[in-house]
Formats: sequence, C-alpha cells, structure tokens
Amino acid sequence: MEVLAATRAGAPAPPATPAGPRAAGLLSGAVEVLPPEKEGRTSTRFTVAADEAVLPGHYPGFPIFPGVCLVEYVHLSVLATAPAEEPAPELVAVEATRFTGPVYPGDELAADIDWKPVDGMAWQCRAKIRSGRGDAASVRLRYRRTTDGAGT
Amino acid sequence: MSGQAEIRGRLPHRYPMLLVDRVTHVDPGRGLTALKAVTCNEPWYAGLGPDTPEEGFGYPKPLLVESWCQSAGVLATWEEPNPDVLAGRVMLFGGMTGVEFHRTVLPGDVLEHRVRVERRVDDTVMFEGESLVGGETVMTVGRIVMAFRPAEVLRPEAS
Repeated sequence: MEVLAATRAGAPAPPATPAGPRAAGLLSGAVEVLPPEKEGRTSTRFTVAADEAVLPGHYPGFPIFPGVCLVEYVHLSVLATAPAEEPAPELVAVEATRFTGPVYPGDELAADIDWKPVDGMAWQCRAKIRSGRGDAASVRLRYRRTTDGAGT
Repeated sequence: MSGQAEIRGRLPHRYPMLLVDRVTHVDPGRGLTALKAVTCNEPWYAGLGPDTPEEGFGYPKPLLVESWCQSAGVLATWEEPNPDVLAGRVMLFGGMTGVEFHRTVLPGDVLEHRVRVERRVDDTVMFEGESLVGGETVMTVGRIVMAFRPAEVLRPEAS
C-alpha cells in the first residue's frame, strides 16, 4: 500500500518533511493542493476512493468514511501546505471537531484551512470540510512549530 | 475481563478498524478501561520505505482517538449492545474538544484507554479520560460526544 508516497506524489510541490512519505498514515488516496485564494488560508481536495484501506472495516457491507479520517485529511493537508521554509509542524492537539454530515466512498471533499500563529511557537489550523452534500466537518488542530518561530 | 467475543458483540467495526483488543474493567454507565496493542502489522505501516525514521512509525494520532472512542462505544453500549449499523439505534461520533497528544506511540506499545462518562443528556453521551502506555499518559481527552440515532440517518439518501 503506497500510503503516503501516493499522497505526496499526488500533491503539487509538497514540502519535503520528515512527517511526509516516511510516516505511517491512514489514507491511501492523494491530497491535492489547490491554489491559495487568500492570505493565511490554504485549500485542498481529496476524493474518497472505494478502495481506501479503512473502509472494509468501517463498516463491513456499509462503508462510511470515519470521522477520524477527516481529521487525518486535515492533518495531511496541513503538512502539504505548511510553510516550506520551516520543518514540518507537529500535531499536538485536536482542539475541537464537529462532524456534521456523513461521508461515503466516491465523495469529493474540499477543505479550507485558516492558519493562525500562536505566540510564534504554534499554529492553530481551523478547517472546514465540505462534500457534495454540504458541510461534513469542522476541525481545529494545534501544531507545535519546530523552529524558533521566526516570522510570526 | 472481556475479550473479542464481547467487544465484537458491541462494536460494528472490523479489520482493520477494530481498535480495541480487551476490556479490563467496566463500571456500567460510568467508566471502562480497555487495552489496544499497537503492532507494525497494521496496514498503516505497510507502505513505509526502508529509510523511515523511528518517529515515522508513530501510531497515527487520529487512530489513537478512534481506538479510545471505540472503548467509549463499548461502555456506552455495554447494557444494550447493537453491533449492526444497519438496524436499530446506532452510535455516531458527534465531535471532540480538548484532545491532547503527549508522546509518540510506537509498535510494541500497549495502550490503556481510560474512559469515563462525563454527562448524559437524552440520546447524547459525553466522555472524558486518557490513554496511557506503561503508566505514562500519552493522550488526554477533554470531551468526546457520542449520539445515538436511528440507523436510517446514516443512509446516503437520508442526508
């Protein structure tokens, strides 16, 4: 299973990070980075393929994309769009998440992520995920920045 | 102590997403302790290359949350088990707040999930707790919300 190798290969110009292709992850599919539309926001797309590794067990005969996979999608989106000049940020907390609509195989997801620096030492990333049926989740993650925090 | 037969009688999850191995303590309606052994044979590790650094084998943090939530699910359904997602009342993961990760979990680690019912309001249950490895806290869970709803809400045509 080419999990994160596939993910990274599919994303245009992803930063080379130690948390990238050489780290365990849940998603088989590729996160696609979209052109940024405004300062402080990054956007990605992800299609839930029928052969995603988690689906046979969630649930047998009735596949639903797990909520934690939406968190993983945001996490991979954060890593793929993090500032290239810094080492990969480290996920330290799920500050808040709401799952607002089920996601099924074949769904095309889009995520907008708003980045907010916190004390120069952390990022707060607020993401909204939508599917073709509407809102799927809101996810707020906190990351530790592994540099001296310059530039914030 | 409860093993796979009782866990599978309560959770609809199966390989590779059945992430509770054993229940070691249950106080029905109030609290539960469960174990999950992390192994490098899980599919999340299958695609890693030969140059993967040790930290690259860290158990994916969303799966730590999933494993903890499944333990909460075993507690929530302890007295009224329903392992069928297509019938009856199903358990939905509504959301979470204040989940903090304190250290990397690696293959070989045995997670001890401690789940407590914080509050129950109608068909919604709120849980709190933590996960430990060898007595050291690796994750704290501020609040996780589970909602029990008729199975029909999960069907694509209903949403």
